Amino acid sequence: MNILWIIPGVAVNAGLVLLVAPLCEGVLRKVTAVVQSRRGPPLCQPYFDLLKLLAKEDLESGEAPVVQRAAAYLSLATVVTVAGLVPMGLGIPMNGVGDVILLIYLLTFCGICTLLAGLAAGSTYSIIGISREMMTMIALEPLFAIALLIGVLHTQSFRLDAVLKGSVYSADGFPWSGVIMVGVMLLSFQAFVQRVPFDTSEAETELMEGPLMEYSGPKLALFKYAQMARLVIHSALFVALFVPWGSAFVFPVGWLLFWAKVGVLVLLVTLVAATHARYRIDQALHYFAGLLLVALAALVLAAYGY
Amino acid sequence: MIAREKLNQLKEKFGPAIQRADLPGEDRLFVFVEPSALKEVCRFVFRDLDGRYITGIGADDRPFSGQFMVAHTFAFDREHLLCGILVFVPPDPPRVESISDAVPAANWAEREFRDLVGIEPVGHAHPKRLVLPDGWPEGAHPLRKDVPWNAVPEGFDDEREFDFDEPPEGCVVVPFGPFHPTLDEPAHFRLYVEGETVRGCEYRGFMVHRGIEKLAESVLTYNEIPVMAERICGICGCVHNVAYAQAVESAVGLRAPPRAEFLRTLMLELERLHSHLLWVGLACHIVGFDTLFMQSFRIREPVMWIAEKITGNRKTYGLCVVGGVHRDLTPELGAELRQVLDRLEAEWRAVTAAVLKDRNIQKRTCGIGVADRKLVKEAALIGPMARAAGVDIDCRRDHPYAAYDRVDFEVITAEDGDVWSRIVVRANEVFESIKIMRQCLEKMEDGPIQLSIQDELPAGRLGMSSVEAPRGEAHHFVITGENNRPRRWRVRAPTYQNLQAVPAMIKDQQLADMTISLASIDPCFSCTDRLETVDLNSGTTKVWSAEELSRLARWRT
Repeated sequence: MNILWIIPGVAVNAGLVLLVAPLCEGVLRKVTAVVQSRRGPPLCQPYFDLLKLLAKEDLESGEAPVVQRAAAYLSLATVVTVAGLVPMGLGIPMNGVGDVILLIYLLTFCGICTLLAGLAAGSTYSIIGISREMMTMIALEPLFAIALLIGVLHTQSFRLDAVLKGSVYSADGFPWSGVIMVGVMLLSFQAFVQRVPFDTSEAETELMEGPLMEYSGPKLALFKYAQMARLVIHSALFVALFVPWGSAFVFPVGWLLFWAKVGVLVLLVTLVAATHARYRIDQALHYFAGLLLVALAALVLAAYGY
Repeated sequence: MIAREKLNQLKEKFGPAIQRADLPGEDRLFVFVEPSALKEVCRFVFRDLDGRYITGIGADDRPFSGQFMVAHTFAFDREHLLCGILVFVPPDPPRVESISDAVPAANWAEREFRDLVGIEPVGHAHPKRLVLPDGWPEGAHPLRKDVPWNAVPEGFDDEREFDFDEPPEGCVVVPFGPFHPTLDEPAHFRLYVEGETVRGCEYRGFMVHRGIEKLAESVLTYNEIPVMAERICGICGCVHNVAYAQAVESAVGLRAPPRAEFLRTLMLELERLHSHLLWVGLACHIVGFDTLFMQSFRIREPVMWIAEKITGNRKTYGLCVVGGVHRDLTPELGAELRQVLDRLEAEWRAVTAAVLKDRNIQKRTCGIGVADRKLVKEAALIGPMARAAGVDIDCRRDHPYAAYDRVDFEVITAEDGDVWSRIVVRANEVFESIKIMRQCLEKMEDGPIQLSIQDELPAGRLGMSSVEAPRGEAHHFVITGENNRPRRWRVRAPTYQNLQAVPAMIKDQQLADMTISLASIDPCFSCTDRLETVDLNSGTTKVWSAEELSRLARWRT
């Protein structure tokens, strides 16, 4: 792909994610409200929330204000960069620039930003929050890496455009490894997007938002924005990796189909979050450990061509 | 007669140490004992006779007998008897033997009369301040009769911080409160945490002690106190309102007319409905299950509306006066109440079915915050805490008051004593409340709702009343007095006992379980003390002191 295409391509993808993310959050809130017999906020409330936060006074607080500020910027910047590596219904703008390994690193970096944020706040609650975040990350990231690796094994390529095209299934059907991995990723999806029952690191009623407790105003807006964007990006990744069908149709049809699938995933996340209680961190880790074992088995199967 | 029987048992065992006894009825017993025998008598009552400790009361009786007085009250639940063990304590300085190593549940009560009345419990294992702040000077005891109600002693340091105990080695202190999203009211727990495991904790509360008892003893009159009593709690205020009125009635031998008794029962149960629905909602919120939280509150709302229609307020019903109630229930409102109950029952069945089958909630609450039978006995736990551990006590049945002797209901119990059992108990108690209210509406006959009291109430009589609040037994102890007000009025809210068990309940648990364990006692502390304002133009901040706030409040009214 021509270098000249990279910049507008990334701009389109990043713009799309930033534009759609608050809407997805709005849908999530609205559907939650309906489940809870409430009227709920208007669909575009998250946009207003972000604008309001952005317009507020930018206070310095916590133990290391510089780190705290950097963490907020990095968090959103990472998410925007990832947007360039993920197909948003069309091609992957930064296809030639990075590969699957870079994608894994960047997604891990989102967690690192939360870690920095918590460390900078320096309060007991935020420290507990990041220790939970780290435990969750250590258990979760391998799951995602294994899913991508299975794709790599099937396609014999680390290229993003090759892997992020339903590669967990091989060209000639549905191997066991791919099918198992779909199940594993579905069961852990709530954790990737940090929603109930796996929002242990922020658990408002236990840790008062954990790592984010010292954040306010514009910096909080950036973090919240990054969180909303994560929901979209992870949904897009999931769709690209596991539900590729229909994306090959001509421009508007395939593209619309892609976003429809992302929308369905957001609804699924909402419904699961609205009907579950939060797991305790040890219970969550047990759960992830079980999934990890299954995923490892799938990886072995994939290595032997199943 | 059971009161006589217990008295004989005491006389047989302690002989001359029993000075005199007062048996105002078959369900009340007051025994005056020698100060030197207090501990042994209490031990005998608590251990051998298996009495349940209720509370300890210290009183300044110097203007009348020249001495101080200490009372420890016990309940014999199966025998339907409330019993007070009293001693007179000579002044200069007033000292009484501590009973808390024989009766651990007396821990706080003794620390409280040490703070407020200045009676030293000799031999108390941990005589740290409980109610008074650490900035309060030594030797100033607000509940003494020679201290005016609004006195601030010389040398009071408003800004002084609490002295805390040292945490055990290897533990990090995690402060929990005074302000935390799951605490509605200020209370401070210092959790000693190792990794994610809680190893112990220290509790400091009473940050907003309002001195209601002192006000009642020095400023208010008999029929103003119920209004004040109701403001002790924002959730179960009616309980205190009724308990106070009943305590005075029991002291002077009055009995409210039958219709008033039914109305009291009705409103108490209405209050239990709203409180239990609120609690189940909050418990779900705390474990992150917001959908059930919202649904509980939706179902609860009609209860608040009907309460407003009956009393003029969603909460704070202003129901009782001594000898009756203020407001009657019209037949129309009765019919509307029935409809509310019908709908509530149907909707609550759906919610309980969902909650009791939810494995997710069970996972977060089974085996968590366990208070077993032993802890229930030692800390004298009450209400759903005791019933969830299989201890079958309920003041409505055991010490019947109002019209509870004329309605049928079951006392719900569970076995495991964990948070889950408390959820099950509370969820099912809602149905019993509905049952009681329906019977009240059916059996209530027309008639007067107040006694007309012409004469002055006699002074120096002792009265007590236990009322089953949604969170456990609320106990009021009254010594009647002169000038149309009691000499001493002691309130023991249910959380006072239940909170003392929290350190034992959360020990060696995950930190994440702290909030739901604490919430499972349905704690009820007290409200607001101070606030800070920021002047946006100059950027200066100003902290409003309690004194300035109260001046502001008085100016506004």
